[in-house]
Amino acid sequence: MNLAIEINTLRKVYGDLVAVDDLSLDVPEGQFLGFLGPNGAGKTTTISLLCGLSNPTSGEAKICGHDVVKRYRQARQCVGVVPQELNFDIFSRVKRLLMFQGGYFGVPHRERELQVDSLLKRFDLWDKRDAQMRDLSGGMKRRVMIARALVHKPRVLILDEPTAGVDVDLRKGMWAFLRELNDAGTTILLTTHYIEEAEAMCDRIAIMDGGRVIADESTRELANRLSRESYVFTTADVSVGPVLASFENYQPVLSADGHELTLTFDKSTTDFHSVMEAVLEAGVRVTHVAPVENRLESVFLELTQKGGSS
Amino acid sequence: MSTNLLGFRTLLFREVTRFLRLGNQTIIPPVIIAVLYLLIFGKSLGDRIGDIVEGVSYIHFIIPGLVMMSVISASYQNTSSSLFIQRFQRAIDELLVSSMSNFEIVLGMVLGGMARGVVVGGLVTLVCVILVPGTEVVSLGIAFVFISMVALIFSCLGFISALWADSFDRLSLFQTYLLTPLIYLGGVFFRVSDLPDVWQVVARCNPMLYFVNGLRHGFLGAGVSEASLSLSVAIIVVLAAGLLALCHHLFRIGYNIKS
Repeated sequence: MNLAIEINTLRKVYGDLVAVDDLSLDVPEGQFLGFLGPNGAGKTTTISLLCGLSNPTSGEAKICGHDVVKRYRQARQCVGVVPQELNFDIFSRVKRLLMFQGGYFGVPHRERELQVDSLLKRFDLWDKRDAQMRDLSGGMKRRVMIARALVHKPRVLILDEPTAGVDVDLRKGMWAFLRELNDAGTTILLTTHYIEEAEAMCDRIAIMDGGRVIADESTRELANRLSRESYVFTTADVSVGPVLASFENYQPVLSADGHELTLTFDKSTTDFHSVMEAVLEAGVRVTHVAPVENRLESVFLELTQKGGSS
Repeated sequence: MSTNLLGFRTLLFREVTRFLRLGNQTIIPPVIIAVLYLLIFGKSLGDRIGDIVEGVSYIHFIIPGLVMMSVISASYQNTSSSLFIQRFQRAIDELLVSSMSNFEIVLGMVLGGMARGVVVGGLVTLVCVILVPGTEVVSLGIAFVFISMVALIFSCLGFISALWADSFDRLSLFQTYLLTPLIYLGGVFFRVSDLPDVWQVVARCNPMLYFVNGLRHGFLGAGVSEASLSLSVAIIVVLAAGLLALCHHLFRIGYNIKS
């Protein structure tokens, strides 16, 4: 199987900070990879190293078989990138910006114009083609950035949190578009904070933390992990400590002040009723129960406590 | 994939159309400044000064210097502002992720600045020819070489300062404290040979002297120039090649543009 992205012991160090720590990761052609991780995990740095926005300290990376340092032009011809931060000339006009970008990639004028016009229509930007970038709404700016990454028809598309801060409609539209693109053969690497997004879109999910990949598995395997659910029980008194052992099946974690008890269970084998019963039997006075909303965070927590599983 | 000529041409086209669209900021002001200098030095002061060298009036003596000053400012400002704003808005990423080579990007940016220097220098020359009777360019070839090479040199300097500067304030430091004094002391308004000996030595260390006198050679002929033509040509060629290489090196290592 051909590899779209090959990363081999890639390292990026800023002073004392190791942003990317001997990262190795392969992405086969045609795959839709979710690249997850908390803020500061090294996802954006890794993307920058792949796309020419940053120089690696050591190690190597290839895109479509081309080394991103030694054969940077061939590598960049194969990849389109949608960065997290807005990075365009705010005074530029939409179509002009896209036409220039195609030109930088050497796309001939006639072909470029066809591609740009079709992208403008696909992203509902046709009416705004002569508007200045600064006059667009946030969602429109995002769409222009995605269109800009596709002007040269790359084989690999990398998106760094493209749906952060966009409304539900636009997000759904983007999902549909990315799925379509992936079905047509484009390899996609998507970073996101929304686990639902990764679950819905990706074949495979890699989780990064502290500059390393701490989990790399199929979406189905990760979804199984996510059948684990956590609840926080707030107690009126601080008498939980002595009876903590009675919750050993539920991975009990007690907050420092002793008022919050977090219990985790696998909802495919255990129901909430039996957890609640265990709490009542232990004689804990519960004043409030709340589910732990951020499921991704609980997966991180579990993975980092294990010290990584990949 | 040997070269990406279309990428280079696109970037150069973008840079040239940028300054042409902003003519009120980029092209008209240096022409107005040149006209004002002509009025003040030509009509008001020039008549009192008389001929600075046998047969050459003061106004004709300073015209090549005025042209050179406009070329220097125009080319320096073009790359320094264009590249600095791209860095500021991170629009530079558009070039960094593209399949252009580092050298093609540097050349596209730098030749854009050079083009502005040549356009402005040509216009100022034209205005001088129209407004000041008797103005001529004895060697168009020499004049063109000096205008275009000096434009290239200052376009490169603008590129380097745009990479170095981390604020608009710092961006202006170079021009305020180095370029402007060197330009004004470079023999635009006076003959270096008229200075005391010590100051002549100092003045001859100023590369501007060779730029101004090279162009003066092109406008007025060998008799009025105060520097040898071959030395002046050698200086502009070495400086242009060296600075272009430095621009390429800084861009390649990603100095202040890659994290």
